[in-house]
Amino acid sequence: MAAPASGSPRAKSLSEIAKLGFESLSAARTDLERLTELVGKHSDTCTEALAFSASPDRALGHLLRLLEVAPSESLKLVAKADSCVRLIRLLGASDGVAEGFLRQPETMEFLGRKPALPNSLNLATSNRVALRVSYRQQLARIADWDLSQEGPEAAVTAVVAALSDLADAALEAGLALARSELLNEGRISQQDSEGTELAVISMGKCGARELNYVSDVDVIYVGSGTSQNFIEVGTKIAQRLALVINESDREPGLWEVDPNLRPEGKAGALVRTVDAHVAYYEKWAKSWEFQALLKARVSAGDAALGAEYLDRICPLIWTRHGGSNIVQDARAMRKRVIENIPVQERDHNLKLGRGGLRDVEFTVQLLQLVHGVADPNLRCSGTFEAIAALSKAGLLSRQDAADLQSLYRRLRAIEHRLQLVRLRRTHLMPVEESELRRIARALHHSFSADDLQASWLQAKAQVAKLHDSVFYRPLLSATADLDPGEVLLSDQDVESRLRSLGFLDPEGANRHLKALSQGVSRRATIQRSLLPVLIRWMAEGVYPDRALLSFRRLSEQLGDAHWFLKMLRDSSGAAERLMRVLASSNFIARLLEYTPESSSWFGEESQLEPSSRDELEVEAFAILKRSQNPDKTAESLRVIRRREVLRIAIGATLGVTNLKQISRALSDVSEVYLSSMMQLALRSVDPELDVGIVAMGRLGGKEQGFGSDADVILVYRSDNEFAQRDAESAVAKLLSLVKDSILEFEIDLDLRPEGKNGPRIKSLAAYAGYYEKWAETWEFQALLRARTISGSNQLQQEFTELIDKYRYPSELSNKKLVDIRLMKARVENERLPQGADAARHLKLGKGAVSDIEWLVQFLQLRYVGQFPGLKGLGTLENLHQLTEVGKIDAADAAVLEAAWTLASRLRSAQVLAGDRSNDQLPIDRYQLEAMARILEFAPGSATELEELYLATTRKARIVFERLFAQ
Amino acid sequence: MDKQQEFVLRTIEERGVKFVRLWFTDVAGSLKSVAVAPAEIEGAFAEGIGFDGSSIEGLARNSEADMLAIPDPSTFQILPWRGTVDPAARMFCDIATPDGQPAAADPRNVLRRTLAKAASMGFSFYVHPEIEFYLLKSSSVDETGEPVPVDTAGYFDNVPGGTAHDFRRRAVTMLEQLGISVEFSHHEGGPGQNEIDLRYSDALSMADNIMTFKTVVKEVAIEQGVYATFMPKPFTAHPGSGMHTHFSLFEGDKNAFFDAAAKYHLSNTARQFMAGVLKHAPEITLVTNQFVNSYKRLWGGGEAPSYVSWGHNNRSALVRVPLHKPEKSQSTRIEYRAMDAAANPYLAYSLLLAAGLKGIEENYELPDETEQDVWALSNMERKALGIEALPQSLDHAIKKLEESELVAEVLGESVFNFVLANKRNEWADYRAQVTPYEIEQNLKTL
Repeated sequence: MAAPASGSPRAKSLSEIAKLGFESLSAARTDLERLTELVGKHSDTCTEALAFSASPDRALGHLLRLLEVAPSESLKLVAKADSCVRLIRLLGASDGVAEGFLRQPETMEFLGRKPALPNSLNLATSNRVALRVSYRQQLARIADWDLSQEGPEAAVTAVVAALSDLADAALEAGLALARSELLNEGRISQQDSEGTELAVISMGKCGARELNYVSDVDVIYVGSGTSQNFIEVGTKIAQRLALVINESDREPGLWEVDPNLRPEGKAGALVRTVDAHVAYYEKWAKSWEFQALLKARVSAGDAALGAEYLDRICPLIWTRHGGSNIVQDARAMRKRVIENIPVQERDHNLKLGRGGLRDVEFTVQLLQLVHGVADPNLRCSGTFEAIAALSKAGLLSRQDAADLQSLYRRLRAIEHRLQLVRLRRTHLMPVEESELRRIARALHHSFSADDLQASWLQAKAQVAKLHDSVFYRPLLSATADLDPGEVLLSDQDVESRLRSLGFLDPEGANRHLKALSQGVSRRATIQRSLLPVLIRWMAEGVYPDRALLSFRRLSEQLGDAHWFLKMLRDSSGAAERLMRVLASSNFIARLLEYTPESSSWFGEESQLEPSSRDELEVEAFAILKRSQNPDKTAESLRVIRRREVLRIAIGATLGVTNLKQISRALSDVSEVYLSSMMQLALRSVDPELDVGIVAMGRLGGKEQGFGSDADVILVYRSDNEFAQRDAESAVAKLLSLVKDSILEFEIDLDLRPEGKNGPRIKSLAAYAGYYEKWAETWEFQALLRARTISGSNQLQQEFTELIDKYRYPSELSNKKLVDIRLMKARVENERLPQGADAARHLKLGKGAVSDIEWLVQFLQLRYVGQFPGLKGLGTLENLHQLTEVGKIDAADAAVLEAAWTLASRLRSAQVLAGDRSNDQLPIDRYQLEAMARILEFAPGSATELEELYLATTRKARIVFERLFAQ
Repeated sequence: MDKQQEFVLRTIEERGVKFVRLWFTDVAGSLKSVAVAPAEIEGAFAEGIGFDGSSIEGLARNSEADMLAIPDPSTFQILPWRGTVDPAARMFCDIATPDGQPAAADPRNVLRRTLAKAASMGFSFYVHPEIEFYLLKSSSVDETGEPVPVDTAGYFDNVPGGTAHDFRRRAVTMLEQLGISVEFSHHEGGPGQNEIDLRYSDALSMADNIMTFKTVVKEVAIEQGVYATFMPKPFTAHPGSGMHTHFSLFEGDKNAFFDAAAKYHLSNTARQFMAGVLKHAPEITLVTNQFVNSYKRLWGGGEAPSYVSWGHNNRSALVRVPLHKPEKSQSTRIEYRAMDAAANPYLAYSLLLAAGLKGIEENYELPDETEQDVWALSNMERKALGIEALPQSLDHAIKKLEESELVAEVLGESVFNFVLANKRNEWADYRAQVTPYEIEQNLKTL
C-alpha cells in the first residue's frame, strides 16, 4: 500500500473515528485517508456528511468506489456542500441506490438540483435497459427526497403516492416498449396493434396508491378493440410487458408484474373484455376476490377502457359479497397468513407478523366491508383515505383514527428504510445490531438500534390493541355515555357487526349489550370499557350467543360486587378464561348461575385446583356439627358439592387439570358427599348404627367423570335383629337426601348381592353368607374395585378382610374363566341401550371404557394370586402392572390405554359441552365440534375427532377380543 | 368461480337441457341419481344440493340425515340415450356434511384422499380396465334355472348380423359421446360374453367412467331388447366376468414403472408397488370382489386368478406384467386380474393404490416370478413356492379384511365398518339358503 501523500491532514485517531459513527475503525481510517487523497479540500464536508449518514462505513465504501469509477461525476457532486451531503446520505442508507449509481454514474446528476419528487413522469421507451435505468434514477430521486425530509413518518403519504406513480409510469412505458418489440419482431401486425386497446388495472398496494419501495405489482388486464384478434394481441402484449419489466438483462429487472388476482387466478385468461370480467364477478367470484377489488385502480394503458371497467366492476363489491361471515372468513385468512410465516420469522416480520402492517390494513378493510354496503363514502382504496372516511362517517373515533394513521405511518416508514437498504422486497427486520442501526439512523440520525426496536415493539402492541377498540368498542355505542369524539353506531350498524362476528341472533345480542352497558353505575361503566374485548373472546368460541347471555346473567346476579368488576378489569387472563368457558360449556354456564361468586376463581389459577379430600371433610363435618336442621344441612352439603364439581369442571375445560386429577377429585367430592349425607341420614334413624359405604366401579377406582353415577354397596354391622329395618330406612333417607335437582347425583346400588332383587343394604354377616354360597364369579370381579369409604374402622376392616378372600383368589378355575367371559358377552348384548350404535357408545361400545375395564379386571382376578401387585383399584394402574408382570405386552397396553383415556375424556367433554350425557359419540356436527374444542382440537375438527375415536376403539376392541379369549 | 362451472351453465342453456342428473355412488357401489332442474345448478355449485343421507347405503350413520351433494363440473356430459328431444345431462357429485367437510363415507372422497396421498409422494395414478359382461335375452332364467345368453359364440368370434356386434357398436358410440374413449372391444369366451376396454386415464375419472359405462351398457341393452349383466359368474359352465385393470404410476410425464435397463422394463418402483399389491391382495379382496358370487368366479377355473403370484404373460397369475413394445416406455404397467366389475371402483382402486404405495414406502421385496401355471401345481408345490391363496369365499374375505389396518386407514372408519357389517349380513343370508345343489345331491341319498 502506498504511504499517505505528504501534506495530507493529520490522520484521525481511532476514537475520533468512532465518535463519527464508524464501526470498523481501522478500515475506516485507511479509507478516510484514501478519501482525502481523492477529494482533497472537500474531505471535511465529506467526513461530516458521513457522520450523519445511516451507515458511515458503507457510505464511505460506496463513495470511494464511485470516485474511482466515475471521478468527474462524483467530484462535481462532492464539490458542492448540498449535493455532497445528499449523495452520502443516499449511499449510507441504500446499497441498492449506490449500486445503481456505480452502474450508471450519469444518473446521479439530479443531485445537482434541489430535492424533489418526480412529477408527470415519462420513462425512456427506447429499450429495456434505458427504461429500467430511468426508473431507477427516479426511484433514487424519491429516496433522496424522502431522506431529506425532517420527519420520515410525515413524508410517507407523499412517498407512497410517488412510488405508485412511478410504477404506473413503468407500466405505461413498458406497454409501449412491449408493443414496439412485438411489432419489430413481426409477432403482431401494425393493424392488429392499432386495433387493440389494453388497460392495466392495478390492485393491492399499487392499486391503493400506497406502494412501498420494492414490491410485486398486482395487475389485471382489460382488453377491447376493433381488431378481430384483440384478445390474442392484448395477451401477447401483456405477456411481453412482464418480460420488459422484469426479465433478466444487463440492467436487472424491476419487479414482478403479478397477474394472479385475475378471474380464475393462474388458470384464467390473462386478458378479458369488460363484459367477461363483469360476468365473472357476477357469477363466480369468492368473497376475498371482492375484497381485492376494493383496491382496483387504472394504472396504465387505455384510460377510457380502464374507467369503464371500474365503473362496472366496483359496484359489484357492495352488492355481491355476503354479510354474515366476513369477520370469520377474514380472520381465518389472517390466521392462515400468520401460520404460513416460518416460526422463527414471526416476530421479525414487519408486514405479516402480529401487530404488523397487515393488521392495520385488515382492521380498516374489515370496517369498510362491514359498513361500506350502507355507506358509499367508505368505498375508497387507500388505507389512509379509508381511515379518514371512516372517521368522517363516525365509524371510527377521532382519537382511534389519529392513532391508526400514526401507527401505520410509523410502520410504513420503517418498512421503507428497511427496503431501501438493498432495494429488495423484504419485510424481515434484521437481527444483527449493525443492520438495525443502519435502519434506525436512516429514520432519525440520533436513533439507535434499541430505539428502533422499542419504537417498533410499541407500535406492534398498540396496533394489536387498536383492532379491538376500533372494531368492538363501538358495539356499545347505542347506550354508552359517550366520551366526546367517540363513535356512535346505529342499531343496524351494531347488528351488522355482530352478525359478521358469528352471532346468530344479533338483535338479541345487541339487547344484552345494551343491558350490560346501560346506566351510570360503576358496573355499567366498567363493563362498557371491558365488553369490546370480552365480545371478541366470546366470538372465538363455539356458542357466542349463549356466552353473552350467560355473562349478562352473571353480571346481574353479582350486582356491583367489587371483586367481580375488579377481576374483569384488572386481570385480562381471568376475563378471557371466563369468556372461553362460557362460550364452550353449557354445564359450567348453568352451574355458575347458581354460584355466581365462583367466578372469582377465574382470577386465580390456584383456585381452579381441586380442593383436597381433607379440606372437604373438614368443611363437611363442620357443617354437620353446627347445624340442627337436617334440610338446611343437606342443602349446605349440596352447595359444597356443586361448588367443587364446578371448580373441577372449569379446571378441566381450561386444561388446568389432567384426566387423572379430575377423576380423583370428582371421586373425592362424591365420597365426602355420600359419607356426610349418610351421617345425616343416620341421625334421624339411629345415630349409633354402624353403617358402611363401599365404593365400587369407577368410584371405587377413583376414576369418576362428570356425570358418572356413584356405584356403591352398603353394609352394616349389628347384633340387633331389628337393625335391618333401621338400616333400610337409613338407606331410604340417604337416597332422598343426596338428590339434587341442580346437579344430579345418582347412586347406583345394582352391584349389591342379588342385584335389583336384593335388599338395598345387608349386614356384614349376610354378606359373608352370600359371598360364600351364592355369589357368581363376576361379582368377585366387581369387588376388585371395592373400597370402603365410611363406617367404623372395625366395620371397614372386617368387610375388607371378608372380600379379600374372594377377590384375590390364589388361582382361577377354568370354569370361572368361562363364567366371566359369558357374563361379559351377555352384558354386551343386554346393556347397550336400544338403537345405540355399538361403535359410538363411549361406555359400553366396542373397544370403549367397559371393554377395557372388564379385560383388566379379568386378568387381575386371574393373576392376582401370583402377583400381589395386581391388587390396585385403578384401571390404568392395573394395566401398567399387568404390563410389568408380563401379562399384557406394552404395545397392546398402549392401545388399550389410548382408547380408555379418549373415551373417558369424551364422556366428560360431552357433559361439559352439552349439560347432559347419553354416552354416545354425537352425530350432530356442532355437538361434535363443541366436544372437539373441549379436547383442545383446532376449530373444524369434528370429522377428525370422530375418525380418531372410531379408529382408536376399533383397535382396542381387536386387542380386547384377543386377550379376553386367551 | 371457475371456467368449468361456467361452461356447464352455458352448455345447459345452449343445448336446452331440461334436467340434470346428479350422480354419486354409495358405499356398496350402486349409482345413485337425483334429477334437478337446470335453474338449481348454479346454487348446487355454490352450496350443494341437500338430501337425506340416511336412506343411502352406508353413506350416513342412522340418524345423520342431512348431506350435501356438490356437483363436479368437470364431469358434465349430455346423456346420449335421451336423444335430442328434452336432453338430459349428468354430473358426478362429491358428498359433504352440513358443515361443509368432505363426507367420510363418500367413496369418491376416499379415492380423492388416496390420490392426494400418492400426489404427496409425487405420483399420479393411471388405470385402464377391461370390462367383461354377459348379454342375455332377458333377466329371467330358463326352465333349468340358467340365464339365456344372446348367442353361442366364443373368444374374438365375429357373429354375422349378431346382436353382440350391433350392441358393441352402439355402446362404443355412446361411450365416445360421453367422452369415454374405448380402446378395444370384442366377443369374449362365454356365449353372449363381451369385453370392452377403456382407454387409460387418471383413477378418479376412470372410476366415474366405470359407473357411467355400466349405466350405458344397461341402457343400450334395454334399447336393443336384451339384458346386460356384470354379475361375476352367471353360468356355472362358462367363464365369469372380471374387470382386469392395468395400473401405472407417473412422476410428472415420466412413467415411474419404466426402467429401460431392468427386466421386463420394470423399475424398482414398479416392483415395490407390485409387491405391495400382492402382499395385501387377500385383505382387500372383500372390496375388489364384493359378492358371494364373486368367489364363484375367482375359484371357478377359466382364467380367473385364485392364487397370489405374478408373472410375465402368465395367465394364471394374479398380477401380470403385459408385453409392450420396447420403445413405448409409457406403456409399462401391471395388470391386476382378480377384480370384477361388480366392485365399487372408487374403493377398489383406492385400496389397490394404497397397497402399492405401501410397498413403495416400506420397500417391500417382490417375491420371485411364477412361470408355471399356478392352477396345475399341487398344494405342496404351492406351499414350497410360498404361493398364498386369495380368500375362497365371502366369509373368508371378511375375516381377512377385519384384520387389515391398511384397509381401515384407507377407507376411513365409517366406510370400513359399513363394508364389514354389510358383508356379514350378505354372508349370513347366503348361508341360510338351501341350494338346488344340495337338494340334488342330498335329498335322494339322505
